[in-house]
Amino acid sequence: MNSLDLIRKGFEWGPLLFGIGFLAPLIAQSLDAASISAPLGLSNVQFGLLIAIPMGTIAKLRGRWV
Amino acid sequence: MSAAIRSESEGGARSDRELMREERAIARKYLGRVPWEMVAWGLGNFCIWLAIWPLTISGLLPAWAAFILSTLCVCVCYLPSHEAQHSIIGAEGSSLRWLNELVGHVSTIPLVLPYRIAWITHRMHHAHANDPKLDPDISNKADTWWQSVWNGIQSRQPGAENPYKTAAGNSDDPNIQRAIIQGVALRTSHFLILAALAWSGYAIEAALIWWLPRHIGTSYIQLFLSWAPHHPMEEKGRYRDTRAWRSPIGTIASMGMEYHLIHHLYPKIPLTQTGAAFHEMRALLEERGIRNDGL
Repeated sequence: MNSLDLIRKGFEWGPLLFGIGFLAPLIAQSLDAASISAPLGLSNVQFGLLIAIPMGTIAKLRGRWV
Repeated sequence: MSAAIRSESEGGARSDRELMREERAIARKYLGRVPWEMVAWGLGNFCIWLAIWPLTISGLLPAWAAFILSTLCVCVCYLPSHEAQHSIIGAEGSSLRWLNELVGHVSTIPLVLPYRIAWITHRMHHAHANDPKLDPDISNKADTWWQSVWNGIQSRQPGAENPYKTAAGNSDDPNIQRAIIQGVALRTSHFLILAALAWSGYAIEAALIWWLPRHIGTSYIQLFLSWAPHHPMEEKGRYRDTRAWRSPIGTIASMGMEYHLIHHLYPKIPLTQTGAAFHEMRALLEERGIRNDGL
């Protein structure tokens, strides 16, 4: 697999990577900024990942966020 | 009605050739000037956008203000690159070619639009405007502006058929491979920078300065550069694929696109002079049967 194939694979998994790489910390920091604690004893980062990973996976499978 | 049998008020019909000669004589007055204002606009706007980052991260600029400023920067960043795509700033082989390429590459970084891809697909748009199969901008076609915005959002979804990607794939331009590599590098860098910022504690800043403004800016640019001046995107041909129109939000807020018709007729006329060129050419263009919606 050359580097372009690797990047192509990366783009295929783009929604999931975007969920983990960007959405999860965005959710966590939005909760921090609003002084809201995550439920179930989770940290805000764990909660962000819990939301963002399924969202990214669904977006990858459906091929769309909205 | 043929243009050649019009113009009776001037005492006789003018041939296509005569009309074209007059049209070109007017166009020549507006050609050849280096649009320094577009150079300042492109590079200055990019510098302002860059400055928003440290100002926001250091707390000097509130996040809401950064969002508004950045959205404005992204919305206006495309046009200088557009001038460069047409080599208006510096033609190939000229001493200002480096500046043309610099403006082209740098000004659309906030939009994450790779210059070479934009260059190639934009030329395809000019060559095949409103062609359902060959015009890369045809996905912006819609009955209403809000449908066009929604179509644009849909075309940016990860699994959607992206007409620019398709056009780039079908292009026989000798620079296409280089353009694709540059495009991949820009998109990858954008994601890595967003992720690095987000995991460093600046996710909200990254969202408000780059991610969200980029989406708003892309929709705004597609609406005013593509949908509005080509609406209803049904006709082809030199005088019918683009229209003159009166923008409800004014010439500046619609980025001068009321005169986009002039750009399609004479792509090397700088943006800031398309209005003057239109008014001077107007009678000739109306004789040609252009669509004029309110100008």
